[in-house]
Amino acid sequence: MLTVRDIHVSYGGIRALKGVSLRVEKGEIVTIIGANGAGKSTLLNAISGFLKLGSGEILYQDKLLPKRPDRVVKAGICHVPEGRLVFANLTVEDNLRMGAYLRRDKGAIAADLDKVYGLFPRLKERQRQIAGTLSGGEQQMLAMGRALMTDGDLVLMDEPSLGLAPLLVQTVFDIILEIRALGKTILLVEQNAYKALDAADRAYVLEQGRIVKKGPAAEVKADPSVRAAYLGTESNTAG
Amino acid sequence: MTQFLQQLTNGLSIGSVYALMAVGYSLVYSIMNFSNFAHGGVIMLGAYFGFFGLTTFKLPFAAAFALATAGTALVAIVVERVAYKPLRDRKAPFLYFIISAMGASMFLENFVIATIGPNPKPYPPIIPREPIALGDLALGRLDLIMFIVSAACLTLLVLFIDRTRLGKAIQASAYNMKASALMGINTDSVVILVFALGGFLAGVAGVLYGMKYMVYPTIGAITLKSFIAAVFGGLGSLPGAVLGSVLLGVIETLVAGYLSSQYRDLIAFVILIGVLIVRPTGIMGKAVEDKA
Repeated sequence: MLTVRDIHVSYGGIRALKGVSLRVEKGEIVTIIGANGAGKSTLLNAISGFLKLGSGEILYQDKLLPKRPDRVVKAGICHVPEGRLVFANLTVEDNLRMGAYLRRDKGAIAADLDKVYGLFPRLKERQRQIAGTLSGGEQQMLAMGRALMTDGDLVLMDEPSLGLAPLLVQTVFDIILEIRALGKTILLVEQNAYKALDAADRAYVLEQGRIVKKGPAAEVKADPSVRAAYLGTESNTAG
Repeated sequence: MTQFLQQLTNGLSIGSVYALMAVGYSLVYSIMNFSNFAHGGVIMLGAYFGFFGLTTFKLPFAAAFALATAGTALVAIVVERVAYKPLRDRKAPFLYFIISAMGASMFLENFVIATIGPNPKPYPPIIPREPIALGDLALGRLDLIMFIVSAACLTLLVLFIDRTRLGKAIQASAYNMKASALMGINTDSVVILVFALGGFLAGVAGVLYGMKYMVYPTIGAITLKSFIAAVFGGLGSLPGAVLGSVLLGVIETLVAGYLSSQYRDLIAFVILIGVLIVRPTGIMGKAVEDKA
């Protein structure tokens, strides 16, 4: 479904990605784990068209992916950004409707809105509330729901569990599985490697702009060097 | 009492034109977070476009008005493409935008001085000078037109931003460009649209202001006042810009009427500084941390 082929990305004079390749197949949950500053967010921002590629190419459904964020959305990739970036001055429902900005079919939009409310009953309860007054966990749900409203088939998620209480972290990962059950494909970037590897089918390990390991999530999880580098402090990753 | 009402109506009239200018500042500020000082140059060109439409081309007023506003919308877009877009593409710090804006402003002003000349030119008399009597009040016809046209333009702008899909895109982009792009909004087009709207309003303001006073290359300096009004009301907030402008217009005319017109600008600046000390974001300004 998505093929990233040997991409290099630099910004601010720093080479953030140095030849990254990866594949995501339809229906998969693929996770990219790595330390802070390894280039995980850079990779998602490059796919979404926010950063220029120095070289390499990105294919989506066997076609070259457009290089502008709005066109990437139109092509069918949605992105739940790091820090959520909900429209804090709009209501929950208006945030969700912004997700459907490119869509014209009112019936399908209403059906998807119901679907999102089904997935996040919490948002349904708060549909008239101003998004800025939601808790961090609720804002994360809103950011996910808003991305789903674009009706993209591939969902990029950037650190969805960051800054959430442990109980909510579990909820977020449960929701990720439910989103896959809706027929979506997920590329997940996470610092919480433990949870991410539990949820994912396959995993890539990114270190200083390079993929240093890849394979089925269970295999990566069992790898001694991965365990030492990323799984040693499970209890710290939730905070 | 009559004198007070008389000053109040004059103040509302000039304040509404300030509002047209201030809204142009605020629109750009809300999206791009910098003050577009080239706006004054665009207003000045609007006044000249209207003037030449009426005199050289002998157009009927409506056509000259359309020419002026279309012209300024276009000029505003060109200024964005030439002076700001290269900076946006390089993610330059906002200080560079301001310097570029000042450069564009100086260019427009000096271009007009070099090609048309520095002398003020009066608009041909289109609106009869005799005021309309309303009880003891004497309402200038031009003042009335200024108020009605400004109010109509501002109402249309609010409806456009509140009710249309493109208006929603402007609102979203004003909140956060990246989040908007993730919704599939072409944020570059939103920037062009915002400059076009600001440019259109600048054209309206330029023609009205030119009719009221005269046309000259430094007419854009008047936008310093509307900029004060925009800051006063809260940069980035459209209702704030309108409120600030109307207040400034009314305060100015009251000061000129009751004290002395020499104190007019002094008082305006004192108010600006006072507001900024008490409320750095202006009366209705958005909190700075809202912007990512």
